[in-house]
Amino acid sequence: MSDATFSESHADDIPLEATPAIDHVKRALYIILGFAIAAIFIMPIVWSVANSFKLPAETLSDPVRLIPRNVSLDNYRNLDTVGDGLWSFVRNSLFLAVGTVVVTLLIAVPAGYGFSKFRFPGQNVIFVVILATMMIPFQSILTPLFLILVKLRLANSLTGLVLIYVTFQLPFSIFMMRNAFDAVPKALIESARIDGASQWALMRRITLPLALPGVATVAMFAFLNSWNEFLAALIFLSQEEKFSLPVMLVNVTTGIRGMIDWGALQAGITITMVPCILLFLTLQRYYVRGLVAGAVK
Amino acid sequence: MAGLVLQNLIKQYGTTRVVHGINLEIENEEFVVFVGPSGCGKSTTLRMIAGLEHISGGRIYIGDRVVNRVSPGKRDIAMVFQNYALYPHMSVGENLAFCLQQRGTPRAEIATKVAQAAETLDITSLLDRRPSQLSGGQRQRVAMGRAIVRNPEVFLFDEPLSNLDAKLRVQMRGEIKRLHRLIPTTTVYVTHDQTEAMTMADRVVVMNHGHIEQVGRPLELYEKPATTFVAGFIGSPPMNLLPGTLSGAGDDLGLTLENGTTVALRGKVRAGVEQARSANVVLGVRPEAVGIAAQGPQGVPVPVTLDEVEPLGIETLAYGSIGRTTLCARLAPDVALQAGAPADLFIDTDRAMLFDAETTRALT
Repeated sequence: MSDATFSESHADDIPLEATPAIDHVKRALYIILGFAIAAIFIMPIVWSVANSFKLPAETLSDPVRLIPRNVSLDNYRNLDTVGDGLWSFVRNSLFLAVGTVVVTLLIAVPAGYGFSKFRFPGQNVIFVVILATMMIPFQSILTPLFLILVKLRLANSLTGLVLIYVTFQLPFSIFMMRNAFDAVPKALIESARIDGASQWALMRRITLPLALPGVATVAMFAFLNSWNEFLAALIFLSQEEKFSLPVMLVNVTTGIRGMIDWGALQAGITITMVPCILLFLTLQRYYVRGLVAGAVK
Repeated sequence: MAGLVLQNLIKQYGTTRVVHGINLEIENEEFVVFVGPSGCGKSTTLRMIAGLEHISGGRIYIGDRVVNRVSPGKRDIAMVFQNYALYPHMSVGENLAFCLQQRGTPRAEIATKVAQAAETLDITSLLDRRPSQLSGGQRQRVAMGRAIVRNPEVFLFDEPLSNLDAKLRVQMRGEIKRLHRLIPTTTVYVTHDQTEAMTMADRVVVMNHGHIEQVGRPLELYEKPATTFVAGFIGSPPMNLLPGTLSGAGDDLGLTLENGTTVALRGKVRAGVEQARSANVVLGVRPEAVGIAAQGPQGVPVPVTLDEVEPLGIETLAYGSIGRTTLCARLAPDVALQAGAPADLFIDTDRAMLFDAETTRALT
């Protein structure tokens, strides 16, 4: 071609291609499948919640029904008759969970910072040893732990149990926090040092705010694990006034004249899982970021 | 305000020495650019000045004070990092204020200083934004704002423009110069880009393998490179370096190149011959001293094969090969040359220089 011609096409004139029908069908199938899988996971929770709001008799006679015939809080009232009453269990569980979160963070954040930002002899060995403790099944050392707590006069005490929970929470938490601090770019820290920040200011103003996703993840795991923990709570606590929610749930199933009060049990389960779900929904945004911190630059 | 002195500065990692006893005096308010290929030790030297890197040997003075053991925050320096290193969780205003807060500056004074710095750099409208909401050029400006806000003794720049696109780089280059005129402060600027070095520096320090090759004003480096390394590093395209052997004497004095071609040495280049300790030398000639016709009385023809002809509009670059060596000529834009053909390129030996092949040092 000797002559080249230029012409501008107008965007309005260009016919757009229609999305093929097969793509719509694929998408619809994809969504239906997604809903089906979600339903499998969600249904037990929905049933628990639904049954907890039925009349106790209906809970027993018609557990499958999703919408209660008569909405009632009787199951929750029955729950309050177990042991020292519902609030006592909730209070104990909150103490355990919040206590575990606070103590875990107080230790794991500085420890993770130290492992990430300082170089000291034996650093790797110490870190591996800390991680290695994760491999010991917790059930296998319950007896020695119990003996230690008795010696420390912390048996049958919520504080003692918090310490146990913290012990088992720490390896993962320190690992998480180290990764979170590792993900903070070195240049930021150097910049802050040139800006005259002290070690404390550096951690509080620069690295910790940037490692918050890690903190959120650690806090969430510590909360969920201690809130739901059953075996240690059952073994270390011997007075009913100190029982946590998971222990109460067992008492509900076996407590009343050897007969299981299904309605009260569902009410207990509902109350137990509400904080977990709320916490997870609040922190999930940070949680994902925290887990993958340091995975890619 | 203070100058900066590096005295026998050494950096060693284990047994590997990366900076070999550097000596340099930087005057108060001087703008010095460290330039060199990656791994030449320029960034390490800058980081030692900043206090981010332990000093293995020697001394660093800022003003009259030895700062070897002074923490970075107390050296009264400010540094602009390659990737800006802005605190992502703070607004631009908080980024600027951070260093003042760490120094316990009263709140009212911080506000005034931040406002002033923001105005100087034209970022007042960005003060409430987060770094993630800024463009590359704006981030660069904020990084500079963070440096000037506290009025330090020394500014340090670590390849600050390498993350910007070509156009923005030229613009920011101008801004950094303007800033230096506005707030004259001793400045050490590290870059691998020789154009930045040439355009910005009062003095350029060329580094290679942990040594200083040459220190001088930009044009001095261009016209009188002390070593073949500097000759090959400064200038784009760089100086042609033709290794050969001295032959003949008197009017027959020439340089026999690797492929047997002899280039007659006439004019000022002969001054170097007397300094030569051996016959092995390197002839250095800038592309602009190579033409397609004799330029003046000292033009010496060299037969080459033209490999490449690059018309750039403002000029045409022609690359010819003499054996394995390439000879580049900077020509007028309208020359008609055909790549692949043999041609004669003329070297103006009045503007050429000789280097010792062994020590690589200039002989003129």
